[in-house]
Amino acid sequence: MAEDINRDPLAGAGALWEALLALLPRTKEELKLDLSEKVERSVVMLLQEATELFYGGRRNECLQTSEAVLDYSWEKLNTGPWQDVDKDWRRVYAFGCLLKAACLCEASEDATTVAAALKVCDMGLLMGAAILGDILIKVAAILQTHLLSRKRPAQGPTQEQPSTKKARNEHVSIPDMKSERTVPRLHCPSLQYFRKHFLVPERPVILEGVADHWPCMKKWSLEYIQEVAGCRTVPVEVGSRYTDEEWSQTLMTVNEFISKYIVDEPRDVGYLAQHQLFDQIPELKQDISIPDYCCLGDGEEDEITINAWFGPQGTVSPLHQDPQQNLLVQVIGRKYIRLYSPQESEALYPHDTHLLHNTSQVGVRGTQCDMADSPPPHPVSGDQVGDLCFPQVDVEHPDLEKFPQFAEAPFLSCILSPGEVLFIPVKYWHYVRALDLSFSVSFWWS
Amino acid sequence: MAEELPGAWFGFGFCGFGQALGSGRARRVLSPEPLRAPGAGLDVYRVSASWSYTAFVSRGGRLELAGAAGGAAGGCRDAWASEALLVLLRAGPGPEPGAELQAWAPGSALRGEPLWVHTVEAEAEGDDGPGGKPQAGPLPLLPCARAYVSPRPPFYRPLAPGLRARRLELGAEHALLLDEAGQVFSWGGGRHGQLGHGTLEAELEPRPLEALQGLPMAEVAAGGWHSVSVSETGDVYIWGWNESGQLALPTRSLAEDGKTVAGEAAGLHEGGPDVKSTAGGEDGAPTPFIAVQPFPALLDLPRGSEAVKASCGSRHTAVVTRTGELYTWGWGKYGQLGHKDTSSWDRPCRVEYFVERQLQPFLFSADQTNQKVIWEKNQTPQYIFLK
Repeated sequence: MAEDINRDPLAGAGALWEALLALLPRTKEELKLDLSEKVERSVVMLLQEATELFYGGRRNECLQTSEAVLDYSWEKLNTGPWQDVDKDWRRVYAFGCLLKAACLCEASEDATTVAAALKVCDMGLLMGAAILGDILIKVAAILQTHLLSRKRPAQGPTQEQPSTKKARNEHVSIPDMKSERTVPRLHCPSLQYFRKHFLVPERPVILEGVADHWPCMKKWSLEYIQEVAGCRTVPVEVGSRYTDEEWSQTLMTVNEFISKYIVDEPRDVGYLAQHQLFDQIPELKQDISIPDYCCLGDGEEDEITINAWFGPQGTVSPLHQDPQQNLLVQVIGRKYIRLYSPQESEALYPHDTHLLHNTSQVGVRGTQCDMADSPPPHPVSGDQVGDLCFPQVDVEHPDLEKFPQFAEAPFLSCILSPGEVLFIPVKYWHYVRALDLSFSVSFWWS
Repeated sequence: MAEELPGAWFGFGFCGFGQALGSGRARRVLSPEPLRAPGAGLDVYRVSASWSYTAFVSRGGRLELAGAAGGAAGGCRDAWASEALLVLLRAGPGPEPGAELQAWAPGSALRGEPLWVHTVEAEAEGDDGPGGKPQAGPLPLLPCARAYVSPRPPFYRPLAPGLRARRLELGAEHALLLDEAGQVFSWGGGRHGQLGHGTLEAELEPRPLEALQGLPMAEVAAGGWHSVSVSETGDVYIWGWNESGQLALPTRSLAEDGKTVAGEAAGLHEGGPDVKSTAGGEDGAPTPFIAVQPFPALLDLPRGSEAVKASCGSRHTAVVTRTGELYTWGWGKYGQLGHKDTSSWDRPCRVEYFVERQLQPFLFSADQTNQKVIWEKNQTPQYIFLK
């Protein structure tokens, strides 16, 4: 191999580098940027320069150039509502991440460097758009495998999971539901029955026997999640509820999230909420399926949005509505959920506004957050941008002097347990509180 | 009548396209360097910098471009550079005193035809500047002050008739306007609080800043997502996004890097690596981080200095004081703060380069023909005209 080094600028030591090279186009001519005119000429020039530097083996210069591409495109990603950001700018960002991650790995294969490169890939996945046949997913998988094979000291605990008998559980308040109307339950209804009695009339129902045999129900545990996703970077919401002033979003690895917000009596509430984890980590996607009932909608299967909701006991999603049908699958732990029909909207005192936070700029999991490396804003949970509705009333502790009508508003409630699927009709108001360490998967479809 | 003032231009910041800063093709210039404008001896009086190229306009009306866009032209009175569009104000084609607004694609090298052309009427009565030439309000405000240019269509945007604009600045998503009476207006996107009305809502039409009513302003400047205004008495008001400390308020991102200097501003290099979490105030209470400041906050410059001019890059801010000092803060990764390093700062720091050489960034007010501090909307070079 030694004789190649003088001739091949891309030759490098190490199996990791070889594996990465194998994923990339072999020459710079084969790396098709394919960017529309929306992307300014100067940026295309810079990106082309970066790829030339890369294939020319000039790693340090490539890193600098990629960094400039990343910084410029990041500003584009933060201009205007996320929905309006041109996809090609996100692809530019992804290209920048790809080159940067590759350059980092060419320099060194030690755990810190590879973890940093993996974080860069994750940023490209979170904020970028697919390039070169989803290459970032493949690169991330290689980096992750490399990290795990080195048995890096865990950033979080790998030994015990918190037992359900942990002291904290004593403080959880299980709602007294004797006086509440509960969501009806069905065992494996046919598609037609479901459509006729629940989908069309827009009524919530819990489906049993539908998801309880999914692999995730047996496989998923804190340990497993750390194994499969521990070193991956994800967006985490910090703060009791996103309507609070102190609420903010931040990025961290799954290991950091578990160690900081799940085990060891966390000081703050952290919630890995509304994140398309299964696009980021395909291995986890193999543990779930798409409920058949989703095909009753008008949309295509690839238009179904699958979100992960992973957090400690006590996370709260305040009352809100989503613009699509929702099938919420419970995998770990239980959730108390309350549902109000859209017909009761008035009694819930919604108001249109963006939330103002002291420490972060947010609009209900809808708009940007405040970090320099912010992940993309979540899809607006509610109506379209400009029409965000927040019921001001706190569902489990309502101020009935301020919100008198709320006391009379009829609702359905339930405790959703592992293996169960809750159908939340489109625009149906829902409030969710985790009674235990919880992992849910939601399917949004139209 | 304008004197021919001797002076020099200095630049620093991002230079990835060789935009004619002093040191050739260095990707970033961390400390001010004398500017070498293309065409030796070009008596530059206006500089407009975009991310990848710079436009220089000389007193003789010659325009030169440097960086990713090249080319030259004559008969120019003003230029405004952006990545999407280069806008020129040129002497009109006919004998009338009007001027012609031209928009060019930066990559065109000023050859062929402009993308569009608009004839600008002569300025209103009595506004003639030195030498009898009509006063040109700096672009993107048009000389007639009744409209402005936008890098996104529609390019020509009239202002409401009642507005008597003195100065107009564009951010990434918003616009600031200073009128003849010293009132500040803002409109556009507001998601980062950059409009200053106390909310995150967008405004379609210019809306006066109530918080500043009654305080006559002398200057306004717009960054990517933040806004600055300077009062006639030298006070600085600032609002919008603070993610890199561009509002000179404590920011979480710098705290995590050990660099925030929340609380008392002591020496210039406070805030060592032990400042990891929230810095404490005197009573030990944690100082809250500010990510977004949705209405104007008064900023105290060191030593009680009075500001005369402010200017912003996409995520940093600069202010020149009455005593001729330059302070910068915010995002510094490309050396755009001029402090010889790539640190970002969340409080004002003086650019020592000029102090060391006893040079004074000199300020004129914005509506005279000499531009002072010009910043680009991105990580950008900056150009300072010195007396």
